Amino acid sequence: MMEQSSIDLWKPVKVVKLKIYRYNPKKDFSPKWKEYEIEVSRGTTILDALIRIKEEVDPSLSFRYSCGQALCGSCAMMVNGRQMLVCRTRVLEAAHNRDFVELRPLDNFPVIRDLAGDFTSFFEKHRAIKPWIIRRDFEELDNPTGEYKQTIEEYARYYQFTDCLKCGACYSACPTVATDHEYLGPQALAQAYRYMVDSRDDGLDERIAILDSDHGCWRCHFAASCSDVCPKYVDPAQGIQLLKKLIVRRKFGLKPHRPSDALPSKIGEVKRR
Amino acid sequence: MGEREYLEYYALNRRGVSGWFRMRGYTIERKLYALHRITGILIVLFMLPHFYSTGWHPGIWWDALLGIIVTFHVANGVRLTLLELLGAGIGKPLLVKKPFQRPVSIEGRQRYLLALTVLLFIVLAVIWSYYAVIVKPLMGG
Amino acid sequence: MRESTKMLLHYIAGVLIVVTGLIHLLANNDPGIGKLITGNVYLYLTNMAIFLAALLYHALNGVRVILIELVPDMCWTKLIGWAILLIGIATYIVGIQVLLMALGLV
Repeated sequence: MMEQSSIDLWKPVKVVKLKIYRYNPKKDFSPKWKEYEIEVSRGTTILDALIRIKEEVDPSLSFRYSCGQALCGSCAMMVNGRQMLVCRTRVLEAAHNRDFVELRPLDNFPVIRDLAGDFTSFFEKHRAIKPWIIRRDFEELDNPTGEYKQTIEEYARYYQFTDCLKCGACYSACPTVATDHEYLGPQALAQAYRYMVDSRDDGLDERIAILDSDHGCWRCHFAASCSDVCPKYVDPAQGIQLLKKLIVRRKFGLKPHRPSDALPSKIGEVKRR
Repeated sequence: MGEREYLEYYALNRRGVSGWFRMRGYTIERKLYALHRITGILIVLFMLPHFYSTGWHPGIWWDALLGIIVTFHVANGVRLTLLELLGAGIGKPLLVKKPFQRPVSIEGRQRYLLALTVLLFIVLAVIWSYYAVIVKPLMGG
Repeated sequence: MRESTKMLLHYIAGVLIVVTGLIHLLANNDPGIGKLITGNVYLYLTNMAIFLAALLYHALNGVRVILIELVPDMCWTKLIGWAILLIGIATYIVGIQVLLMALGLV
């Protein structure tokens, strides 16, 4: 009888070819592809394989990683032409019946070296939408008298968008960003929505002035690739469409949200014992 | 392409226009996005000679093709208006995420809307083709 | 004008095109309903004026969106916006003139 044990998980099962993009913009004239053959087991993630290549085969290979458990968002790459976090993608899952995996740096990010991209403009855009709670009651802030309380309905409006890691997968997948380097990008717009619908926030009109510009939220045409590739299921496409709806409602002086809109249907299904 | 531009091209690593029409490996919404853009450009290209000499038409079978282009743009445009402007069918943000939860915006109600869009496209395209291929020649041009 | 105003008009123009464009197509292609519309000159003219305005706005704004996504630098964005506006107004004036001449009202 076959019993699954933790030892089996680390037994080498297959030799997989990793085809990796090698490019140093300061030295090389054009990028090169290098192939590395590596023995993988069922549990080997692509990040494990990359670290092993760096340790044992080619110490000049460069890539960015930190936590190795899909919590920091440093290691997003193009795996077989699709944006993924390599720390939570297993090699055999990505190879999928074939015996090679192609690794490239994220599209639309300037290459620093090999698989690491430059996130400067991405973070600048995130900063441009003021990703913090803006308050107008300075008296209360100087001499606090209590907490800012929220109901579960108010919390449910924005909870989904707080999971963002800033890994850059959505920004890389977006077809508008492919040509429009001024476009704020799905990550910044979804985060703007997250702060605009927060019941503690007073900066709605301040942010609308930034988002409702030539290269703001209206350059999104709902290709939905950002939601498709998001490793944390943040669903930026939904956030941007709701943001457009919010701006249009605001334009006609309507209330941003009807109370019945706020409560996700899932909560009603939870049974209490 | 000079050396400087060549280096910039690879160092910036930007997809360019090919990024708009990159459809493989992504969901069907991306295909519709690309087709919406292509059909829009084609309609503008048809408009130019049609304005220049009013009544200009490319011919019976090309008219039917034009119908397919226009009706796709109309059907998808109705869907985009509902989704982007009114937020209909886009769903609500989740409070409880299951492991390996699919994004709300690319499944469920939005996909039913997409199916309706395709249905609307087929119905409109058939009606247009009927007029272009059968009724119009009977009217005598 | 804010971007949301432009895009709101874009969607409204899209809806108008569907309605007036359908009337335009029926007038020219359907033997039965066509006579009802082409028979009344002012109905036909009003429909055509709205259709042409909506169509030009929708098409040229679409072209503008594509162009500013293609050339995103700020000075180009403004230049494209103004150039498209001028082209649109000129085309509309010429179009209405041609329409009036064709209907024999001028």
